[in-house]
Amino acid sequence: MTFFEMSDVSFHYDKGSRTVLRRFSLGLDKGESVGVLGQSGCGKSTLLRLISGLEEPVTGRIVIDGTTMVDARKFVNPELRGVGMVFQDYGLFPHLTVEQNIAFGLHRLSKKNRAARLGEMLELVKLQDYRRRYPHELSGGQQQRVAFARALAPEPALLLMDEPFSNLDANLRGEIRSELRQLLRAAEMTSILVTHDKEDADAICDRIVYMQANDEISQERNSS
Amino acid sequence: MNGFAWLRRLQRRSNTWMVISVIGALVALLPSLYILIGLFQKPNENWQHIQQFMLKDYALQSLWLVLGTGTLTVMIGVTLAWLVAAYEFPLRRLFSWAFVLPLAIPPYIAAYTYGSMLSYTGSVQVFMRNVLGWAPDQKYFDIMSMKGAIFVFTMFLFPYVYLITRSFFEKQSASFIENARLLGKNPLHIFFRVVLPLSQPAIMGGVSLVAFEVLNDFGVTKHFGIQSFTTAIFTTWFGMYDVDSAIRLAAWLMSVIIGVFLIERLLRKRKKYNASTSRTSPLSRRRLRGLPAWAACGFGAVIVSLSFLIPVLQLIVWAAWTYRDVLNAKFAELLVNTLSVSALSIVALMLHAVIAANVNRTGRSLFTLVLSKLISMGYSVPGAVLSIGVLAVFISFDEQLSGVYGWLGLGEGKLVLSMSLAMLIFAYVIRFLAVGYNAVEAGFEKTGNRYTEASRLLGFGMTRTFFKVDLPLIKGAVLTGCILTFMEIVKELPLTLLLRPFNFDTLATKAYQYASDEQIHQASVPSLFIIGVGMVSVFFYHWLGEKNSQ
Ligand SMILES: Nc1ncnc2c1ncn2[C@@H]1O[C@H](COP(=O)(O)OP(=O)(O)OP(=O)(O)O)[C@@H](O)[C@H]1O
Ligand SMILES: [Mg+2]
Repeated sequence: MTFFEMSDVSFHYDKGSRTVLRRFSLGLDKGESVGVLGQSGCGKSTLLRLISGLEEPVTGRIVIDGTTMVDARKFVNPELRGVGMVFQDYGLFPHLTVEQNIAFGLHRLSKKNRAARLGEMLELVKLQDYRRRYPHELSGGQQQRVAFARALAPEPALLLMDEPFSNLDANLRGEIRSELRQLLRAAEMTSILVTHDKEDADAICDRIVYMQANDEISQERNSS
Repeated sequence: MNGFAWLRRLQRRSNTWMVISVIGALVALLPSLYILIGLFQKPNENWQHIQQFMLKDYALQSLWLVLGTGTLTVMIGVTLAWLVAAYEFPLRRLFSWAFVLPLAIPPYIAAYTYGSMLSYTGSVQVFMRNVLGWAPDQKYFDIMSMKGAIFVFTMFLFPYVYLITRSFFEKQSASFIENARLLGKNPLHIFFRVVLPLSQPAIMGGVSLVAFEVLNDFGVTKHFGIQSFTTAIFTTWFGMYDVDSAIRLAAWLMSVIIGVFLIERLLRKRKKYNASTSRTSPLSRRRLRGLPAWAACGFGAVIVSLSFLIPVLQLIVWAAWTYRDVLNAKFAELLVNTLSVSALSIVALMLHAVIAANVNRTGRSLFTLVLSKLISMGYSVPGAVLSIGVLAVFISFDEQLSGVYGWLGLGEGKLVLSMSLAMLIFAYVIRFLAVGYNAVEAGFEKTGNRYTEASRLLGFGMTRTFFKVDLPLIKGAVLTGCILTFMEIVKELPLTLLLRPFNFDTLATKAYQYASDEQIHQASVPSLFIIGVGMVSVFFYHWLGEKNSQ
């Protein structure tokens, strides 16, 4: 059964500007991880913004876990969609420490559960010793791990990742790739990874989708 | 799109923030609407008289003031901005912020200071007669004239042009100018052929602020006996007790201003040079040597003396003579009044500014466009015009609420709201909203949307996101907004004079009252307080700017 489905979604930014997505459709099963590849400017980030509710499509429909998030007459605001996102530039809150950043999305939990979940996440990304630092006091790789922990902490139904490796050097990249794959498997996380590096997608995802500038997509199943 | 798209849009956009800003915008619009409606009412007999004998003169006098001041502020402001931005010369760093200091002195204070200094018994002529033994013709000292008014406005308003143009030069023009330099053009050629045309939008922005200030002025023109549109509104209102005609005058003035406002916007839109394609580095300054260096320094010194040092020193001397009589319990009350009315207004204003800016950045739509235009419009409506509108609106509120007052035991048909401080605060908020709003908007632009978006994806709605993420990140900008509006409110004269409750005096109204009672020396004490507030704001603003640019 498809867990996530978007069908015939079209979108452009300002009135009269170029269409970024034209009748775009994509479906994911529960626990599946899909890589979206494409050239710079083809609309990969835009796709994630539409799924998360930061942008509103002109037409089309998006359903997550049986709930319609957007269609012709309905729009669910981003805070109610249960979608987690790791941003291209991480977007860590500069005025909050590592632990405050990670615990930010845990406001629905009780105090005790919150502390437990925070501990779990810190352990997962191996940042226990850095919990009281501010984002600008961390290296690029550490910041990226905080961003992952922050997005995963509230247990989102769907995890979106926008070029999460773009600021990392090659060594770190390889290491984090395999960590991330295990992490997603372990959590049975349904996820979409946007990248322009095929190796990233091969290493992490079950399936790869190629996106071309405002066109339909072609697909390929990952052998691994 | 289908017929239900509006439903979806409503789900996405409707929230408390939007509702509050819609209501705020409508309420802020009421006074202006009230005045414009005045144009369509049947004029009374007095209006015939005003139209026939006075209207043309008022309009011409105002026009000359605006044109004269506009031309001179552009000449001085742009020259100084270019010197400071493009050249290195002695005392340049000092001048770069000293040229902003005149903003701390309201033109009406400068007007009576210069007026009195240059009079037959003033310090300048006394010095000439007693020390130099020289008694020149009185006509050389006639500052209480159109020329004098233009001089005062120019000296104390040019910083608007200077500030906006300088920041344009420093931030955006570097690549064009450096290219021109590499192409071997001489400095004059570069200035007239490259710099001036490029900076036209910035100059227009600055000079339109100057024009609005001149049209807003009441103190200078009144003290110098010039019949401008604003003084005419006062005369018609309080001299002839003809409120209808005063509203009609206000409506005419406002139509002109809306016209100017729209033309300026149109010009600016078409002339929008966009330098944002490449990240421009700041302009590197050339070192001046020898005569040009000293000429630049000397020019700066003359301007700073005329626009700041001389009047402030004169005020300090007068204050030393009179402070014993002036600083009493009554004066403490003035301070309390000024501070409390400012504090209340700033709170109301910044709340409004923050809400509007937050709504405006979360989604561009026709409404947000109209909202931001309305806000910037408030600053361009002269105080006298706004006062009439606000007064009319509050009186009609009072009429509507008359029954409620009776029921509360306050007495039927009483004026409650229109006799209260609420009216003045309401007017300050409308007039200076743009100042606070621009500061907040700049803060939002600097932080961008990404933290807000991250917070919303982590499950926080707009309001909680605002308090947990946005506010901590823009608090510097909010503080800047508070300080700038504080300075504006403390300086503001016409609004305060017209809308204050009975027997409620602030520093500004007291200074004005002393000056118009020929007690110029006494006026120096409240004036120095106002200037002090202005200077602190200017220093703070400068300090924040320096801190941010590092
Ligand atoms: N806020 C915006 N307003 C208008 N147009 C935009 C906006 N953001 C992106 N675009 C345009 O939409 C198109 C798709 O942009 P998008 O950021 O989704 O590309 P991308 O595939 O993520 O590129 P990259 O790999 O460089 O991140 C581009 O042509 C871009 O210019
Ligand atoms: Mg992108």
